[in-house]
Amino acid sequence: MIQRKKSLQCRHVDAGSCNACEQELTALLSKELDIQHYGIDIVASPRHADALLVTGPVTDTMQPALKKVWEAVPKPRQLIAVGDCAAGCGVFQKAYASHGGVDKVLEKPDQTILGCPPDPEKILDTLRELMNS
Amino acid sequence: MSEASRVENPYNEWINDNISHKKAGDVWLALTGYRDGQIKSHWLRANGRIDEVKTACMDAQFASLTPSLPEVAWDEREIHDLFGYHPKGHPDLRPLVRTPRWPASFYPMQKQSDDHIEWTDVEPDNPAKVVEGEGITIMKVGPTHAGIIESGHFVFSIIGENILHLDAHLFQNHRGVEKALESLSVQEAKPLISRICGADTVSHQYNFLSAVEQLAGRKVPEMIEWQRIILLESERILSHLNDLAQIPAGVGFTVAHQRGLAMKEMWQKGLSAIFGHRFLFDAMYQEKLAVSKKEQLQQLLASFITQWHKWRKLADRQQGFHDRMRGVGVVKRDDAEQLGAVGVALRAAGVSVDVRTLMPLYRHNRIHIPQVTGGDVEARFQVRLQEVEHSIALIRNALEHLQGNQQDTSWSIPDDLTGEAVSYSESPHGLNAHVMQIQNGVILRYHVKSGAYRNWPVLAFAVAGNAVADFPLINKSFELCYSCADR
Ligand code: SF4
Repeated sequence: MIQRKKSLQCRHVDAGSCNACEQELTALLSKELDIQHYGIDIVASPRHADALLVTGPVTDTMQPALKKVWEAVPKPRQLIAVGDCAAGCGVFQKAYASHGGVDKVLEKPDQTILGCPPDPEKILDTLRELMNS
Repeated sequence: MSEASRVENPYNEWINDNISHKKAGDVWLALTGYRDGQIKSHWLRANGRIDEVKTACMDAQFASLTPSLPEVAWDEREIHDLFGYHPKGHPDLRPLVRTPRWPASFYPMQKQSDDHIEWTDVEPDNPAKVVEGEGITIMKVGPTHAGIIESGHFVFSIIGENILHLDAHLFQNHRGVEKALESLSVQEAKPLISRICGADTVSHQYNFLSAVEQLAGRKVPEMIEWQRIILLESERILSHLNDLAQIPAGVGFTVAHQRGLAMKEMWQKGLSAIFGHRFLFDAMYQEKLAVSKKEQLQQLLASFITQWHKWRKLADRQQGFHDRMRGVGVVKRDDAEQLGAVGVALRAAGVSVDVRTLMPLYRHNRIHIPQVTGGDVEARFQVRLQEVEHSIALIRNALEHLQGNQQDTSWSIPDDLTGEAVSYSESPHGLNAHVMQIQNGVILRYHVKSGAYRNWPVLAFAVAGNAVADFPLINKSFELCYSCADR
């Protein structure tokens, strides 16, 4: 049997996305891309996660919840901004209740996946790279 | 009404005029607040005309319509939150959009400048409405979720296995989109409009263009109209495919779920190859594409139809699946009408309303409205099945009309565009209305009232009395977007 050395468990938080980024993340779970067979999965609790995927420009209302989820992810951990909004270069940067990206409220993300929304293949490639690094 | 009563209450006219529109069966488009204290409601009449009823705040107060028209309850709470106007007589003025984190004097839609906001460092939770009594448990879910879902916070009052009441605290994703649109030019606003919501983007783009074109007096070339129909119907198929694939997941029918998602992926890839974006963001702004891509579109449609029939057969013949959907999450006709339900949720309750029948864009098409009456999850599933097939027919018909050489349809938006326009369309999630006020090419006020916004209170109503375990299924049968509602 082939032993898989690594896996990557991700928790997702929507922090004000337009839902297209979510739909692309969902596409990763479809049988076409099937992230699970690479050892990558979306987990239900931040305590089980190696990485946090954030979408959206971080609305003020979501900021406290996002911070709590991030605190709950055990170290070593990876912060991944999915999409232009989370990366701080989306179209809603300047809206009054948007904090303008994940780096403004948490820290500089370890990985930034640009795109509006990024292609699911691109998200998958980044996650696989991260898993193997 | 006597003159005397008019004098007694200056608001009578405001209330009565709105009630008469509702009684006449008109479709309510939007309730919009303005910085100068005006409040307007817009009604779509059976003859396609849009009527405006307005009132003005006195001492920052206006008469609440909610006691007579419960469907405006959220809109009035939103105006209260964002403008600080008080809807007098509103039965439930808890904050809807604002949170305890907002500075007390901060009313974003009143504000002119974009100074730095000092958010208060407290939890954003607003008071919840719960049922109290022996044996009742309160279950809070969200705002973050275990899977890949948009953020929303739900407070359930539960007795035994059943939901007594659901208080949905949305607006977790509130960015302030309407305010962000103010002071932008038409060109600058375009990408924001596309991204109000990933699931109804084409409908939002259409409303925006339609408002701009009304004011500019543009006569849209027929070829462009057919192309717009193709885009609107392609989005409906995409969104319905997503929802049709999600419903089986709610009952563990994994094969239909996965094959449904695969079908969505195929459709989405095809659209992306033709229109340049997997969600059709900004697609309607470009006017050059379709004639040259006609053949490609026909091929995509043909291969999609083959997959669709296979999938439909799979879903149709699973009696257990249909039994599981029947009688769950029921919204009866009267309730749907009273609560102001729109789109699939309304049609599934036996009400034949689809505003495509009134949109001038569809004047050369006959819109078929599914005749379904159950009001349950099964009914909403059936409506979507029929609507996908009707959208296929509408696209086929539009493709027939796409012919001839690529015409030059370019036009320029007048720099001094000024006025107010109301536009609407039938998005995949139901009636979607926009109100735009613009002066010398600069947006002064922009209001978006999406189908999802309308249907959230209907969903909360639909889950009451059902088992907690059925919430995911009922939720998926509505599959409301948060982004459109939260803005
Ligand atoms: S990056 Fe684009 S697709 Fe993703 S949430 Fe932002 S606007 Fe939507």
